[in-house]
Amino acid sequence: MERPVAVLGRALASALFALFVAFFMAPAREAAAMELGTVEGSHSSATLVSEYAVAAPGEIIWLGLEMRPREGWHSYWKNYGDSGAAPIFYWTLPEGVTAGEPLYPVPHRMPIGPLMNYGYEAPNTLLIPLTIESSYTGNSIPVSVDIEWLVCEIECVPQDGTWASEIPVGTLAVSEEAAGLFVAARRALPELAIWNASLEIYDAQSRLKIYVDESEIPGLTEAYFFPEGEGVTEYAAEQQWALTEEGLFVDMKRTVGGLEATGGNGVVLLTFEDGSNRAVEVEASMVQQAVASPATGGTSPLVQASLPLWQAIVFALLGGMVLNLMPCVFPVLSLKAFSFISANAKSASERQQEGWAYTAGIWVSFMVIVAVLLLIKSGGAAIGWGFQLQEPAFVGSLVLLMVLVALSLSGMFNITIGAEGAGQELAAESGNKGAFFQGVLAALVATPCTAPLMAPAIGFALTQPAPVVFLIFSLLAFGLALPFLALSYSPALARMMPRPGAWMETLKQALAFPMYLTAAWLLYVFNLQAGATATLALLVGVIAAIFGVWLWQSFKGQIGRAAAILFFLGALGSIIYQPFAQQPGTETQSTGDIQAYSEENLAALLADDETVFAYFTAEWCITCKVNEQVALFTDETQALFADRGIRMLKGDWTNRNAEIANLLADYGRAGVPLYLLFANGSSEAVILPEILTPGIIADAVNAIE
Amino acid sequence: MSRLFISLIMVFLFGAGAAASPANGELAPDFKGLTMSGENVRLSDFRGRSVVLEWTNHECPYVRKHYGSGNMQRTQRALTEDGAVWISIISSAAGKQGHVTASQAQRLTAERGVYADLVILDPEGEIGRLYAAKTTPHMFIVDENGILQYQGAIDDKPSASLRSLEGAKNYVLAAWHELQSDRSVTDPQTKPYGCSVKYPD
Repeated sequence: MERPVAVLGRALASALFALFVAFFMAPAREAAAMELGTVEGSHSSATLVSEYAVAAPGEIIWLGLEMRPREGWHSYWKNYGDSGAAPIFYWTLPEGVTAGEPLYPVPHRMPIGPLMNYGYEAPNTLLIPLTIESSYTGNSIPVSVDIEWLVCEIECVPQDGTWASEIPVGTLAVSEEAAGLFVAARRALPELAIWNASLEIYDAQSRLKIYVDESEIPGLTEAYFFPEGEGVTEYAAEQQWALTEEGLFVDMKRTVGGLEATGGNGVVLLTFEDGSNRAVEVEASMVQQAVASPATGGTSPLVQASLPLWQAIVFALLGGMVLNLMPCVFPVLSLKAFSFISANAKSASERQQEGWAYTAGIWVSFMVIVAVLLLIKSGGAAIGWGFQLQEPAFVGSLVLLMVLVALSLSGMFNITIGAEGAGQELAAESGNKGAFFQGVLAALVATPCTAPLMAPAIGFALTQPAPVVFLIFSLLAFGLALPFLALSYSPALARMMPRPGAWMETLKQALAFPMYLTAAWLLYVFNLQAGATATLALLVGVIAAIFGVWLWQSFKGQIGRAAAILFFLGALGSIIYQPFAQQPGTETQSTGDIQAYSEENLAALLADDETVFAYFTAEWCITCKVNEQVALFTDETQALFADRGIRMLKGDWTNRNAEIANLLADYGRAGVPLYLLFANGSSEAVILPEILTPGIIADAVNAIE
Repeated sequence: MSRLFISLIMVFLFGAGAAASPANGELAPDFKGLTMSGENVRLSDFRGRSVVLEWTNHECPYVRKHYGSGNMQRTQRALTEDGAVWISIISSAAGKQGHVTASQAQRLTAERGVYADLVILDPEGEIGRLYAAKTTPHMFIVDENGILQYQGAIDDKPSASLRSLEGAKNYVLAAWHELQSDRSVTDPQTKPYGCSVKYPD
């Protein structure tokens, strides 16, 4: 039983010996064939290797330069980032042989203080092609090269070396000993470009668009672009990425006034959920954009409009509360206040129920508006927050509503809402329905007033997926309702209210007047949107509707009722259908010294190095009008503008205008007002706050000098 | 109150935006610095004269290439004789490569035959960050009106080796000659090369 064991032992021993020979003896014997030499530098070493033991005319053979920086030190990619240096090759080759550009392995990011470097902290191999012309007749190729390469830890030490060797020429033969090195080196290269891509260059940022379907890169958790060219990104700045319907977007920050972008090539590094990586070459066509930053579309990211979700939520809640201070909500709030006056006559639970009904009214209205907004946006229309007031039919209906509510407050008649609620006043009634309706009214008139804190939240929200949009607007609605909701829980306030009496009727009638004024303002907006004929038609419609209501109340017979309904519906129909509305004309002629905003007008002024104050407004935006009256068109501000030669551009968003909607989106806004100050032809604007004072404008203007 | 509110919003909105780098054609950012001879100087003190700013670190191999060969001194001499004010700035933090005391800076200036008018010590890196200086050397030319006219590398050969000087295009000299003859600068902005500026951590 010993013999088989002995045979096995011998076989094993000879196999081991063969392996030993294969691993240690053979390389030593044939080293000269593939290794062109090793240079020991002070802080790294480098070995030049040929993939082929024998070269042949008419072929491309590859050389590998393996660089091994000392532990803790690094060498550099072809674009070294902020500081460093790429290796430099000085070739001396016989005629008929040329060396090409080296291929680099996928680089790593190496942040150094405020700077960013791209390179390798570990041994890495560059691959260099040698092209041998078919006319080459030599017996061997003398390869001589001086290579300079830089290694740094924090300090940098340049390394250099000279290689001189020969590669025999004959029948092409791969050096088997070198195969492992070259396989590993090729594995470390990025994949060849497989996706189409474009690189959009803006003043302060750039956006790489890789047209790849989401299904090709499932579970993506990070994307990073290493640009080969200069001026594409500020290397140390964070990059943002997003998967959109168009493909993978990577947004990068650019230095304003920095180097011009020189190309769209590079490597994109993708990281996946399971921790795996994939690096792919990118050959993006470069597109220079005249505008300051890209327009938001779908779920695409935007560097300056990005906001952490919790911040957007806090802004939304605060913004909603601040909305209560906006002039456009005052008339409705006065109604709400009125219902509080009668609080004394109600139980605590009744008051609280009304508080919640009011909240619900606001919330439901916001949700409806947002749903419609998203629906229209998904159809591709360039609209923004407050869009409903760009629709004359909506404004006309709102005029009718305001007039009816006001008449009801004046005591002209009671609006009835169906037989079972006969005798109840809708807006001024004190029940839950009334509170709900007040909420609806508050929401409708509040939407065009983007309060300062709301602007970023809304701008952010409209670029987000639908659930986030609804969440943010829910908080906005809640913020708007919060003050009155909180008051409805306060028994102290209820006790402070005087006893109900005849004076309440007088007060109620007085409150009708803010509503009439609101109607007058809406009528003015309507007139601008749809023209004088349509305004006349609207007024006739409103009167017909009032007549219908009057008929309803005065004639209880069937004919009277039928006529009343006919009149009312006919009036409403004509208001919504708008038979006489003119096509809304964009205001392009300039009034006085103020030019109308358009991309060309702005570009022309900036090209002349002018300082430009561009303001974006709408007739239905009361915040805008207030700002214009108290801050912009004051003698003081106008004198300052004249003194400094500041040109004004007015962007009127009363009607839909895609150019203005796009500009607003560029600044992360969804609505007006927006105030921009472009200094001395600079395309970078200073953004002024949404509530202006002459002092704020003066400070901004003086800051330019 | 409303001011505070608004500025709070602005901070939230734009806080993420880093300080912009200086742009060519615009007023070069003014700074105050302490020179190796103990004077406090401002960039604006030299309004009416052109100023060259040179970020340097005497231990950096790239800087050594230009000083060891005399290339930097020749450039300094040519420009200062033409009326420019040459300011070398050392933004290396204490304990880092290239950090020098005032007396070391004076000795280095004497030993290397430097033609710089002023050497400013910026160990906190304030001036360096103001100009977004990235490498040593990193060069800036400010004209007599205080407008930034050139920023970038000293030449077009990103190498530490002496032989790279031969045939190199000296961007600073070229820009200077163009400015002197009222022509626009052909290469107003180039990518600086060299060691990273050793800013404090």
